Amino acid sequence: MTARLRRYVPFATSGLQSVLQYRSMFAMTTMTAAAGAAVTVFLWRAVYEGTPGRGPGGFTVADITTYLLVAQILQVLHTNRVDDEVAAEVYRGDVAVMLVRPVSYPVMRFFACLPVVGANAVLVGLPVLGLFTLVVPLSVPRPADLLLFAVSTALSVLLAFCVNLLTGMTGFLTTNTWGVRMVKQSLVAFFAGQLVPIALMPGPLAALAKALPFRGMVDGPLTLLLGRYDGWAEAAGLLAQQLAWAAGLSLLCAALWRAALGRLEVLGG
Amino acid sequence: MTRTLTRYLRLSWFLGGVGLHRLAAYRTDFVLGAGAFLVRVGIQTAVVGLVFRQVPAVGGWSYHEVLFLLGFSLLPRGLDHLFTDQLWELGRKLVQRGEFYRYLVRPVDPLFSLLSERFFHPDGLGELVVGAVLVVYAGSELGLSLTALQWALAPALVLCGALLHTSVKLFFASLSFWTVTSMPAMYAANQVSEFSSYPLDIYHPSLRTLLTWVLPFAFTAYVPSVYLLTGVTGLLGWLPLVTAGALALALAVWRRGVNRYEMTGS
Repeated sequence: MTARLRRYVPFATSGLQSVLQYRSMFAMTTMTAAAGAAVTVFLWRAVYEGTPGRGPGGFTVADITTYLLVAQILQVLHTNRVDDEVAAEVYRGDVAVMLVRPVSYPVMRFFACLPVVGANAVLVGLPVLGLFTLVVPLSVPRPADLLLFAVSTALSVLLAFCVNLLTGMTGFLTTNTWGVRMVKQSLVAFFAGQLVPIALMPGPLAALAKALPFRGMVDGPLTLLLGRYDGWAEAAGLLAQQLAWAAGLSLLCAALWRAALGRLEVLGG
Repeated sequence: MTRTLTRYLRLSWFLGGVGLHRLAAYRTDFVLGAGAFLVRVGIQTAVVGLVFRQVPAVGGWSYHEVLFLLGFSLLPRGLDHLFTDQLWELGRKLVQRGEFYRYLVRPVDPLFSLLSERFFHPDGLGELVVGAVLVVYAGSELGLSLTALQWALAPALVLCGALLHTSVKLFFASLSFWTVTSMPAMYAANQVSEFSSYPLDIYHPSLRTLLTWVLPFAFTAYVPSVYLLTGVTGLLGWLPLVTAGALALALAVWRRGVNRYEMTGS
């Protein structure tokens, strides 16, 4: 098993090298992420401004600020370029070259995206967090919650990989993957709770958001970070739900990938 | 002078037609693109709705006033989108791949030559239609009645806003003449323009200054909307000056960039 996994390590290191080629890109991504966070943070802070203590959904001003800021940072971690790269390789036909190698394409993609996630966390996530601590007060999580959040974030990265891989695989069906990716981005941002915490959605919408896998990408980790759960049982339940979705989506990816290869045709030349 | 103008107008008309023909050729792509755009605006509206489920007013703005602002912000954005989408290609790859030269060898102004490649971008039409629907709906819910002067100024406000969007886009796209690709900077500027869809009053003072005097997106939607909704002129007097200044700066940077452009040898 380890020998088989070691085969994929070069993909991770080469991924890291290519990411670090374009370092100035991270400064721009930081600006984009900070601006994106500022829109939602200030919109919701205006809602909580007049309410001392706990406002709607049981959030304090510092809580809602932390929630929306970290939500934006998680979104940056989830932008792993898998969706556009897979889509581009499928419709250009480059995927054929990948298929002759003795590795699994989805697993290779997963390893190649890990350095992107790491670099985004360090070079974009931390500066954005630092910038906002200077401007607005944030809530400080308990150490145990921070640990739960770390585990949950790791699972959210896996979920984001699966969602992006599935999105990229629409390249087998259409060439306008730009439109598909826009739809995915909007829907995921909304149902993950990145723009509106699920606790602030009306009943039926909240129920729908809780049932979908996207919840585990933003709202799940943040529920744990802010300690908004009743006892260990509920925290474990949240993690279990994420794990189940991650396993389910991985299986779905594997099955669909196999089916898609059956109908793949690449022109020679 | 008039002859050049008529020539450009005729060319725009013809090339716009070509753009629309292309649309008909790739129908699924158009439907997907339009669908993606509707989902995005739908979710933006849903977020505003959910915010106002909690409170009756945000930063002194009521629900329908914010909807009006959101709708109005789409109008200049859509008008700009309709004509200048090709600037994204300039920032992304035209300089990097050495393809830019083909705009210099045509017998028209290089900027016109570049922009006309993608006139009448369909996403812009969608933005104009949805924006107009939101503005009319919110306006009628508010019982808004504009004075004759406001009616007369409204199209000019939209046009100035569109020119501001174009200026910022042209400025950042032209940077690619020095940096080879300026796509990330264009993305960042585009993200900053999202601020204009919400009332300026809710932002941190430093951000308000940035949006008014550095990247002047406040003038694309907030300032005109305040005027149309309340009649208070406020910063409105600055609008023509800011638009002219931004456009002059962007055109100067563009011209310098074109002059120093050297083609790749391949």
